Amino acid sequence: MTTSSQTPRPISANRPGVDAISLSVLWNTLLSIADEMGTALRRTAFSEAVREGDDFSTGIFDGRGRLIAQGNFTPGHLGAMPYVIENVLKFHAPETLRPGDSILLNDSFLGGGHFPDFFLTTPIFRQGRLIAYAVTTAHQVDMGGAAPGSQRVQGITEAYQEGLRILPIRVVREGQFDEDLMRMILGNVRVPAKVRGDLKAQLNANYVCGERLGDMYDVYGEDQMTRTIDAILEHSEAETRAILARLPQGRYEFEDFLDDAGPDTGPIRVFVAVTVDDTGVEIDFTGSGGTVQAALNSYINYTRAYGVFATRCLTEANLPNNEGSFRPIRVKAEEGSFFNPHFPAASGGRAAVQIRIFDCINGAFAKCIPHRAMGAFSHWANPNIGGVDPRSGKPFIMYDMLLGGYGGRATKDGVEAMSPVMNCSNIPVEVIEHNNPVLVERFSLIPDSGGAGKYRGGCGIRKDVKVLAEGAMLTLLGDRHNIAPYGVFGGGPGAVGQSLVISGAETRPYGSKEVVILKHGDVVSLRTSGAGGYGDASEREAAAIQADLADGYVTPAGVRASYWHDVTEKP
Amino acid sequence: MIRIAFDIGGTFTDFVLHDAEKRVIRFGKALTTPRNLEQAVVEGVDAILAEHGGTSADVVSVLHATTIATNAILERKGSRTALLTTEGFRDVLIIGRQKRYDTNNMHLDKPAPLIQRRHILEVAERMDATGNVVVPLDQTGMSAAIEVLRRGDYEAVAISFLHAYANPAHELAARDQIARALPSLAISLSHEVSPKFREYERTNTTVANAYVKPIVDRYLASLGSALQSRKFTANLYIMQSNGGLVTPEIARAFPVRIVESGPAAGVLMAASVGREEGHEHVLTFDMGGTTAKLGAIDDGEPAITQTFEVDGIDNRRYSGLPLNVSAVELVEIGAGGGSIAAAHRSLIKVGPESSGAEPGPICYGKGGTRPTITDANVVLGYLNPDWFCGGAMRLDVAAARAGIEREVAKPLSLSLEDAAWGIHSVANSNMERAMRIVSIERGRDPRRYALVAFGGAGPLHAARLARKLGVPKVIVPIGAGVGSAIGLLTAEAKIDVAMTRILRMEAPIAPEIGKIFSDLQVRAERDIANLNLTGDVRFRRGAYMRYAGQGFEIRVDLPLGAIDDQFVAAAIGAFETTYKRIYGYADSGTPVEAIDWYLTATKPGIGGQGAVGRQLSSAHSTARQGVSTSRRAYFPEAGGYVDTAVIDRYAMAVGQTIIGPALIEEREAMTVVLPGDTATVTGNGHLVIAIGGVT
Repeated sequence: MTTSSQTPRPISANRPGVDAISLSVLWNTLLSIADEMGTALRRTAFSEAVREGDDFSTGIFDGRGRLIAQGNFTPGHLGAMPYVIENVLKFHAPETLRPGDSILLNDSFLGGGHFPDFFLTTPIFRQGRLIAYAVTTAHQVDMGGAAPGSQRVQGITEAYQEGLRILPIRVVREGQFDEDLMRMILGNVRVPAKVRGDLKAQLNANYVCGERLGDMYDVYGEDQMTRTIDAILEHSEAETRAILARLPQGRYEFEDFLDDAGPDTGPIRVFVAVTVDDTGVEIDFTGSGGTVQAALNSYINYTRAYGVFATRCLTEANLPNNEGSFRPIRVKAEEGSFFNPHFPAASGGRAAVQIRIFDCINGAFAKCIPHRAMGAFSHWANPNIGGVDPRSGKPFIMYDMLLGGYGGRATKDGVEAMSPVMNCSNIPVEVIEHNNPVLVERFSLIPDSGGAGKYRGGCGIRKDVKVLAEGAMLTLLGDRHNIAPYGVFGGGPGAVGQSLVISGAETRPYGSKEVVILKHGDVVSLRTSGAGGYGDASEREAAAIQADLADGYVTPAGVRASYWHDVTEKP
Repeated sequence: MIRIAFDIGGTFTDFVLHDAEKRVIRFGKALTTPRNLEQAVVEGVDAILAEHGGTSADVVSVLHATTIATNAILERKGSRTALLTTEGFRDVLIIGRQKRYDTNNMHLDKPAPLIQRRHILEVAERMDATGNVVVPLDQTGMSAAIEVLRRGDYEAVAISFLHAYANPAHELAARDQIARALPSLAISLSHEVSPKFREYERTNTTVANAYVKPIVDRYLASLGSALQSRKFTANLYIMQSNGGLVTPEIARAFPVRIVESGPAAGVLMAASVGREEGHEHVLTFDMGGTTAKLGAIDDGEPAITQTFEVDGIDNRRYSGLPLNVSAVELVEIGAGGGSIAAAHRSLIKVGPESSGAEPGPICYGKGGTRPTITDANVVLGYLNPDWFCGGAMRLDVAAARAGIEREVAKPLSLSLEDAAWGIHSVANSNMERAMRIVSIERGRDPRRYALVAFGGAGPLHAARLARKLGVPKVIVPIGAGVGSAIGLLTAEAKIDVAMTRILRMEAPIAPEIGKIFSDLQVRAERDIANLNLTGDVRFRRGAYMRYAGQGFEIRVDLPLGAIDDQFVAAAIGAFETTYKRIYGYADSGTPVEAIDWYLTATKPGIGGQGAVGRQLSSAHSTARQGVSTSRRAYFPEAGGYVDTAVIDRYAMAVGQTIIGPALIEEREAMTVVLPGDTATVTGNGHLVIAIGGVT
């Protein structure tokens, strides 16, 4: 591929050794490699979570372990990666790594905050020298432990109940899986074929990175690449600092609460102080709740990932992800607290926390940059239903994601039904029904659930799933069943969510993080909360209300309740 | 024996006339008449016939590519359309697949659905994943839905029920009832338009079909009568996105299939040119005013995809609306001559924003103030300011220089030349990224391919792109400026039929596969019979396959002939070969599944497959007078601005070789030959550039 390629002549060195053109072109290429890794991973993966839900990420690190490029994937993975590679290299010093090695890690403290997230790190060598690391993360659909999907919150008090914990191990040597280690891993999970298939897909993606980076080094040479990487990081940091320097300086606080940490527990305080000063932005969770005795704790890597992500999105400091663009934003939380627990705090269900991290930082920034703030998101639901498929006699795990609406914005209504914070796709109903013994009876928006406002919040989402297996275990994972998503600048809150199980004539409500054993034919009805509004409802234009009525996003009763307009029963 | 082809674009309608007996081909261009498209068509057809000295009676076929369906979708100006769907699933179309097309942007909007929620109706009914009836079609609900459709003054309705691909009985029953009650309503059924699983993609495709159906229907009817009024008796054929021609009747039933009509024809032209020059493997590069489109041809056949997004942003997944339509595979990015360049956070950023035709690049002198790729190309000396578009427009070099200086050079502390070169290079790197997607990411080794470059700006950038990817040869076809219309002349009639049936590929499954293909054959033959063509039908079989448990399928060609145990073994072998080509390994022994099955039927008889290039000389032989023979142009590998030979393409003799650096000018395009490359005109009239002397 490089036979007739030519090195562009370096010109006009306005930065020592690197011109704007080489910088633009090489940066482009690195980003495209990170995307290409994602394509390979998605296309060869086996689990619905990865292949349909896009619950994975890719990254490229230089030989010194500095993040240089990432793909357009899941922020929680992306933001944790720099710390993960640091931890991997503590166990496997660079000089001990060989070509063809790959290191696997899923530890919640060292990794992405819960066991299902597999981080696979592959050192990349060129002419015998280690030049870079390819890293992929994928959400494995099961890691064993107390419940199918390994995200059970209720009754889990320490990480040892959550399945297999893998400290950094050399799972691949000379390009081949170590079959002894694989036997041990796969012997501990409920769906071994999917776990192996997805890990293989991760390895494929890392190989793609190795090939493409090797080509780049061949064309541009090591010196030029090193200079360019330095320039990318330097440039990203400088630009990020320049953007943050334009923010009004000060300390901005916000408080919100998570519903609970499972049945019979109280709300968890989420408190953030955002400080904007000459050194950048500090996000401080000091004052938030303590570690909980349930699998909900947010390990520091996870807290940092979403803290940095929220800050960059809200302040528009969203340069491509790399160490330089992360550096000016610091995230901290007290040791031993909910947002920075000690191992073995349980954390399988920590995905329920990410949106609240964003919401809370958004609430604080609303006081600093009101035009960028939004109402709080409709929360999401991330249930697992696992059991034995009566059609095949084999275990099944239905991993699902219900993604609701966005809060109202400074100039527009909130977007309906778009992945909030993390960036995943839903799994089509027809795919779910092919792979699991279920019948989905409803998948729809919930009218009147969006918070009222000059700009309305998006609606909640409802999904009703009839389970056609006996004794399946439902692991609920959600929030905002008690504490509604807030509105901003006078905007109303979204409606709270509900988790119901309809068993014959009986309908029972559950908390947002309970575990339920289901009977054949039970219908699980999940209803996420609506998103918060922006601005006072009295300022909403009549035409917008009429349009909402015509489309059924609100009902006449909802309009009377929120907007006080004279509305007849039949619009 | 005259054939006329025309391609209606946003600005121009391109015409090609081909007279097989006289061995003459002619080009024409007319301004598109957006409010009354057929007006430009009949005027242009009259003009080109008059120039040729022929009459409508001499014309045996009229071939047509159109953007009418695309524009209705892009502008959301389709028909008043309703959707009828399964109770409980009203919001499938609104919800979509929910992923942000940019992770790091929390303030973006989703692509707007084609119809609003108020136009989506539900009726109780349900199939399960294997096609068993779970809930029968509710008759009371149907009556109510029909009443809403009647009162709502709809022109079209889409019916999309869950799992209809597995059992269409309820869609058919609903169709019959609606058709009886409301005979003038245009109905589209999901299992006919897109019989595949994944409800959002299928529903969106069906809604898109319904949405453009009345518009395409009216347009083709009035085009037909306009041609008739000119005493044309020739058959009219319409280009589909898959590169095959169909009758207006089929296009009117499934108009969503003609969304990529023009671009598909361009790729066919590239395939034909590749064949003439002895290349079965071709990468296609079509760069115009606002976008660049990149595609691939393997073994002489344009690569076909079964799904693509329309109205997307810069080829970002989830930014557009997905259509399950068989289409020529194209990656489209916002890089065209009019793409705007700017200094952005101490980098040079180019596109996807475009200055469009109005105001256009600064150098057009029509009020543009933001520098574009075209402005950079004129500063670099690649474009001839005095003979742009054959002299129809003069370019203002000074204004282009000032604009680049102000917007790019100064903010980044670059010299003017470096800034212009930077814009050119960054544009190339954006296109390189797209070409990597088309080639390397999809298992094609660029070193085995030739690059066919067309569109106004394609031949200017092609050689750089080829170098970046190691492509050894660039071909600039003659008539590059009307490439799509030429492509129509090389097309055949083609029908694609497909269905979803998830089967584990094991020997005992052969009879079931046989049943699938005989069903598909019945459907294909029904359409083929309506093409009014003689000649033998050729079939091709294929399937989308994966390792059992994977979610992403790859397209595999399947053998013709008896469907028995050996067929199944051959299918698995073909899958593993393809998988290995794309991913570099195969997991032999792991069970394989097939998901979607398809059958392609082609029938010759509309047009010749003959080389069109070598017939051109009669119409375009006059060399231009007074062309300067050299110009200063920028080639960093030669040390910067150097005196560069300027050659009139029409004056080049067959076999004549030009050594780069050189600029080869023609009316529709400018070809840049880089230092060390050599350009030759072949016996077919095409310009072939050997990159770096490699052949």
